[in-house]
Amino acid sequence: MAFILSLSVIAADRYGDFMGDFRSALLTLLDPVERIAQAPKLIYDNLTTDFTSYDELKLENERLKAELLLLNAKQQQLLKMEQEVGRLRALLGTTGQVNNATFQIATVNYFSNNPLSQFITINKGRMDGVQPKQTVIDAKGIIGQVVSITPSTSRILLITDPAHQIPVRIQRTGQRGILSGSGYDATQLNFIPKSSEVRVGDLLESSGLGGVFPSGYPVAVVTKVISQDSAPYYEIHASPLGELHQAQQVLILKQYRDSLTEIKSQASETPEQEEHKESNAETEQTKATEN
Amino acid sequence: MGDNFIYISSRQVRWLIVLSFVFALILDSINIIGQNYLFLPPFTLLVLLYWAGHFLDYTYMSTAFAIGLFADTIYQNTLGVHALIYVVLTFAMLRHRLRFRGYTIWQQSLNIVGFCFIYQIMHLFTLAPKLDDQQQLAYWIMPLVGGVLWALIALSLNRLSQQNVTEN
Repeated sequence: MAFILSLSVIAADRYGDFMGDFRSALLTLLDPVERIAQAPKLIYDNLTTDFTSYDELKLENERLKAELLLLNAKQQQLLKMEQEVGRLRALLGTTGQVNNATFQIATVNYFSNNPLSQFITINKGRMDGVQPKQTVIDAKGIIGQVVSITPSTSRILLITDPAHQIPVRIQRTGQRGILSGSGYDATQLNFIPKSSEVRVGDLLESSGLGGVFPSGYPVAVVTKVISQDSAPYYEIHASPLGELHQAQQVLILKQYRDSLTEIKSQASETPEQEEHKESNAETEQTKATEN
Repeated sequence: MGDNFIYISSRQVRWLIVLSFVFALILDSINIIGQNYLFLPPFTLLVLLYWAGHFLDYTYMSTAFAIGLFADTIYQNTLGVHALIYVVLTFAMLRHRLRFRGYTIWQQSLNIVGFCFIYQIMHLFTLAPKLDDQQQLAYWIMPLVGGVLWALIALSLNRLSQQNVTEN
């Protein structure tokens, strides 16, 4: 009976899309266990952390304030341009770039980096509105997607996990392919035929196909292109752009479909409504940067 | 070593069983955080085999399934893979647990090396991990480490079980 049940669970998880909630429930049960498991590492980190002097912190704080001011000024311009681009895209009837303002900041609790599974756990969960399949990025690009949620934490499957795949396109040529994790902090680009042009250094960005990941976010850079005589496709290795195991803070993008709906509704809004929304967005952005 | 266990039922050490599984889950979680040490065996499997091999009043098959699912969640792999491996290994243990209980600790350790080896083979076939040379060495050393750790785990749990029963 247990044997049959195990096989059924494997089949359901492998080929179905309905074990996510079950996995999240299991992870919620294991949450206290994982918190206890983090304790030795936290104690070790605290003991080995160098104490930064007060003066250094003061200097860093001043520098960061100056940077923040500069970024705020740029942000104001970007916000308007972004809305303009969104309106134009909607008018053209194209779907693609999501609204960058719809994100949530989260802190990385811990990570797992081994050949079998590569994931990070962040400090935002169901109570913070996180949902499965949300895209997670850092300052440099996409790092993964939410796979399991507990009330207060979420697990992010990294793009380098052997079970992870993301549809991408080569930015220079527009050639589409599937980027799979290879478990060694690296990825492999599959299904690029030999007739297409690809070279080392090409940037890979999310193509948005499949509707899970938003389009146009940088993902990885091509590091090696191997052409084997018998194979119809190239063997392409790529290195992720995101700092998968160094990033302390990450951004969770709002659900892709929700964002698309927002863009479409933006296009149908009246000019008065848009002005009102713009001023609201600016206020929100200022609040976010102040915090 | 099995003399004392003839008179101990699982009910008498219920809390010890639960706590040992929780502790094993914590150890597995510690192992998965950061750089995973591939030479360490899953502690949940060792504890499961201990209880299934030493107490005759339960089969521990449903426990194997449940603990396997928890292990799948911790290791973030396809749900059911560890459950399947744990169920198969528990079944194998049930087939010869009467003999197993009578073995000395080192004979038991030798058996556990075999169990861990079967675990690795099933793991390799079901999850197909990509390993470099160094990782392959660590991966295949795991059964030996499992055998050594078994001696520690079995001796500790033997003592704790006996203490628990004496106190009650």
